[in-house]
Order: sequence, then structure tokens, then C-alpha cells
Amino acid sequence: MPLQLNVLERLCAASGVSGREDAVRGVITELLPAGAQHSVDPLGNLIVRKEGARAGAKAVMLCAHMDEVGLIVTDIHDTGDVSFAAVGGVDTRAYLGKQLFVGQARIPGVIDLKAVHLLEGDEKNIIPHTASLRLDIGCDSRAEAEALVRRGDFICFSPTFQAFGEGYIQGKAIDDRIGCLLLLTLLREELPYDMLAVFSTNEETGVGAARTAAFTCAPDYALVAETTTANDLPGTEGAARVCLLGGGAVVPFMDQGTVYPRALYERAMQIAARENIPAQTKTKIAGGNDAKSITAARGGIPTLTVSVPCRGLHSPSVVMKQSDAEASLRLLRSLWKELSAE
Amino acid sequence: MELDSILFLLCAAPGVSGHESGAAETAAELLRQLCDSAETDALGNVVGKIGDGETPPVLLEAHLDQIGFVITAIEAEGFARITPCGGIDRRVLCGQEITLLGNEHVYGVIPADAPHLKDENAGKALPADAILVDTGLSQKDAALKLPLGSRAVFRTPPARLGKHRVAAPALDNRAGVCALLRCMELLQGRAHVPVNVLLAAQEETGGAGAAAAAFTAGAAEALVVDVSFAQGQGVSAPDAQGRLGGGAMVGFSPALDHRMSEQLCDLAERNSIAFTREIMGGRSGTDADRIQTAGRGVPCALLSIPLRNMHTPVEIVDLRDIEATAQLLAAYILAKGGEA
Repeated sequence: MPLQLNVLERLCAASGVSGREDAVRGVITELLPAGAQHSVDPLGNLIVRKEGARAGAKAVMLCAHMDEVGLIVTDIHDTGDVSFAAVGGVDTRAYLGKQLFVGQARIPGVIDLKAVHLLEGDEKNIIPHTASLRLDIGCDSRAEAEALVRRGDFICFSPTFQAFGEGYIQGKAIDDRIGCLLLLTLLREELPYDMLAVFSTNEETGVGAARTAAFTCAPDYALVAETTTANDLPGTEGAARVCLLGGGAVVPFMDQGTVYPRALYERAMQIAARENIPAQTKTKIAGGNDAKSITAARGGIPTLTVSVPCRGLHSPSVVMKQSDAEASLRLLRSLWKELSAE
Repeated sequence: MELDSILFLLCAAPGVSGHESGAAETAAELLRQLCDSAETDALGNVVGKIGDGETPPVLLEAHLDQIGFVITAIEAEGFARITPCGGIDRRVLCGQEITLLGNEHVYGVIPADAPHLKDENAGKALPADAILVDTGLSQKDAALKLPLGSRAVFRTPPARLGKHRVAAPALDNRAGVCALLRCMELLQGRAHVPVNVLLAAQEETGGAGAAAAAFTAGAAEALVVDVSFAQGQGVSAPDAQGRLGGGAMVGFSPALDHRMSEQLCDLAERNSIAFTREIMGGRSGTDADRIQTAGRGVPCALLSIPLRNMHTPVEIVDLRDIEATAQLLAAYILAKGGEA
């Protein structure tokens, strides 16, 4: 089944800052194929099972996280503006000068900045500290602001989704709604074996709720469908590029969260070579994902990650290439089949 | 006239200094409905006129151009290298969506640095010579569609913020243009003095448009409308003397005509129009600096609309301040014609 970009757009448009994944879970639940059984565990993970032609010899848990990075309202001031903190790894540069939305009612806001004309010396080149910044929601007083937003409301990037150039896509929260789409796509196919898919919560905060889903499901293997940082810009050479857009599915041998089982890594690369699936590895030990949480669940679960390379991860404008997502889909499908049949 | 819809139209039309045609077409179309005539001159200024054409007119001016970028190179893998055209706040550039105005409009994104790499750029604004735009095109196609020297603008759509505010790119100075259009609507059939409306090109790059058009107009006096700094978090007087929702800022400076400034304050008080005084020690840094020295010299007044986040894609104004500015301008013109 080909990737459906309109479904990705819908997934990315949903607000799902870590801990408030409800809207994303709602969209995914609606998109599940007939015959799929689903349940929600105590931490909000969506666990989906669909029967195939028969049970596999081994249970393989597919996993993609639903949550996205964002901000959270920490205080409301007499002046009607709002203080906030980051949720997950968000660089301040990602949200300066951007349209933001507060809470389920999507109240629009932007960060106030001292005009560049009034900055002295090197101030023009320095990004202000988060604690000194305020979100402007167009209110003149605390009372006016409190009628619109509350402390603890999450703040989301603007959902600007755009296909552009030759097969590229830009959007917020592609990390990891593209992973969610890959799992949904597989679930909707004719399946040779029973399939187990987990849409997890709280990945970006490091809570790693995927661990409890892995406890519940007790699989023999896990495959994480993710995104990873590509740094392939003009002027960056060699290993510093990490991985490339257009280079296919990314299979890391190690990142900052996980040392992957060598046998699984090599198996993935062999499948890619055998089936002519574009694949690459990461040339820098960076990032981490749910594999870390799943690997250490129960008595230990061998886990591998297959990622779509992305530019601008954790920003409102993540860029990916459609062909890389298609390669990731093929590699995930083949790996899942092989591991299930063992 | 719905101020917000006019403002959204104006802000969405591209018009980077020296290439104002997109914004000029949109503004001229609107101005034509409110004036006897509206034309675009050789420098790209839009000029609307009402009155006999013999008596020296009162000149109402707002600059039409906006800050933006110019394409300086096409790099490997279809990345366009751009550099600021006007004083852009480079702290906000990471991850911005851009429209590249080449042979056709091309979509692009300035890549954001992912925090995972903890790179040496963290905490720093993007240098002016390091701004890349991801076009997703091959280098060959990008070069074909995007001749060097083409302009580029932020793609952020205008948005309402709360009850009265708008956040958008190019509010500097489409907010001023909007105030002049609203003023002309208020004056429909009521102005007894000739008025020229000048929507000037190239303010952000030095004010050549206003200087030339002011000479051509041969005006008796000029009222310039621009934006100025609004107070906010960490921004207070004397740097910023205006307040969002505080009304028009009436400029007082050695370079402005103090009788006109005082008269504007009197008229505001008499007509209950919200205003504040903005005091400057020298030149105003607006087109008034160029207009006053045009020809034999033109006495100038300056009205400013308070604005936050100047030279970013999310500049903020309060619609009530645009309305107050338009009301005050109209009161001035009506007073010239003998109406109190």
C-alpha cells in the first residue's frame, strides 16, 4: 500500500505535545482498519493487534511515538502575556518568530522580542534565554488572558504542511507522525502473520512510556519506526552530515540511547541489499528513542530502529523526503516478516 | 472598510525594497476606489490624487516596501543562499518558511538546527552570509527558476491575535498603508483641499522613492505614517514610547514641523482620538527625513503606529491604533478645509 500524504497531513495537524496525545490517538484510532483490536494502557499508549493469516512463530512489536515537542504555560502575568517552559528538546531558535497555538482551543500567540533596532553590540547575534521570553496572546490584562489560557496548557507549533520540490515534505511533528503513518500503512495491508503495533506516549520527555507497553505485550522482538537528524547541508562534509535525505531508510548501530544488537543491525542491512531497498546508517552517535525503553523492558527485548532521515527535527518545519519514507516502509515490512517467521 | 481584511490583503502581497510591484498592484487597486486617480511612477511609487491638481496638495505618505531577502547563490542540492535586504532580525530565521520570488514563486524552508547535534551554532543568530533555503529542487532546476538577485519574503500568513491585535510579516509598513486607505475612506466627498497619497518604494533601503515622489508632488506640507516601537516585556521608554492600543504616536523632533505636531495633538484631544507623544532627539529615521528636504523644502509631521517584533515575520499591531491614526489624519485634512 503506498504512503498517503493526506493522512500524514492529518496526523501532523493534530496537537500532541508529550502527555497530551489525546488528539493524535483519536486520529489514529479512526484510521485503524476493520478487524484491528485496540486498547489504551494506563500511560496512554495505544496498543493495536490485527490478526493475519496465522500467528507468527515470534511476536514482533512495532512501535512509533505519538507525542511531539512543544512548550507549556508556566505563568500568566498582569500584563496579559505568558511565561512558558520547553517540553522535550526544543531549541529556542525553533519558536522565535513563529506562530504558536495554546491549548485545545488553539489560542494564537507569538513570542515578543525586543526590536532588533534597539539591540546593542553583539545582542543582535545572541538568542535570548527562554526564561526571559514572553508569549503574546493579544491580551492587555491578566483577567483577559486567564479567560483564554491556563497554567499547564501546552503550546504547539503552527501546523503548516507542505509538499515541495521534488518529493520533499515539510511539517511540524513529522517526528514521529511519519512513524505512525508507516505503522498504520502496514496494519492496513493483507497480513501473513498477526501484527502487534504500539503508538506510544511521552517519548520526547524521556519518560519512555513505551516500556510499559512492551511489558504488557511481552514481544520477542521490537522494531521502532522513527525519524532521525540529517545534517546534510551545503558546507557540511563527511561524517558530520550524519545521514542524508534521499539516502533511504536509516538503520543505526548505536545512538545515545541504545547499542543495537549487532545481529539485528546486520540482518536489516542484508535484507536491504537483497531487496534493493535504499538504506544507510548514521555516521554520528546522536539522538535516542523508544528503543532505549523497550530494550530494557521485562527480561530484555532485542530492538532495532528504522528511521526516516529529517532536516530540522524538533522545529516547526521538519523536512523529509517521501522516497526515504517509502524505503523505511519496505524495510520495516520485510524485517517484520522475517522476524515473525523465525 | 474591514481593517483586518484590508491589512491581511496588503501583508500577503510581496513587495521587497526595489521590487514592490506585487504590493503596489494590490495597494493601487484599493487606492483607485478611493481617489480620483492612482498611478505607479518610474521608481515604483504608487500615487493617488484627489482635488483640482493646481493648488499645492497636502501629501499623505506611507512606505510600501518591506524587508526581505535577495538570492545571492544557488548551492549544491538546490539550496538557495539568501542575504537580508533591509535590517532583518536574524534571531528568528531558523526554520522559517520562505517564498522565493524567481521566474515563478518557489517554496522553501530555512533549515533549523536540530538540538540533537548540540552544534556550535546553538544560542546564536544565523549570520547574514549563512542563510540557506531548502528548495527540494535539483541544482539545475533551482538555477533555472531562481535567477540571482531575485527577492524572497517570509511566507508566514497574517493572523489575528486576541481581540484587537494582528501578527504578520510586513506590518512595517502595510499598517501605515492601511491607515492611509482608511483615512481616504473617511474623507470621501468631504475633503476641501487637494490631497496626494504617496505609497513610497525603497524606504527600507534609504528612502529614494519618497524623495523623488515628494519632489514631483510639490506639496505644501506632508504627513508621514510609519510604525514605531511599542512597549512590552523588557522594552520601555525612552526606547519605546508607544503602547499597543494607546492610539497614534505623534512625533516631536527637531526635524519635524512642531506647529503641525501640536495641531495634531490639539485635534486628537478635541475629537477624543487616542494618542501619545513620541519624542526624538534628531531625525526620525522615516521617509519624513527625505520628504522634508525635497525641492524647496516641505514641512513634515509624523504619525506612528506602535508595533512589536519589528522586522520579524510576526510583527504585531493593534487595529485600534490604525483606526486612531486614520481618524487623526482625516481630522487634520478636514480642519484644513475649514471643518473643525
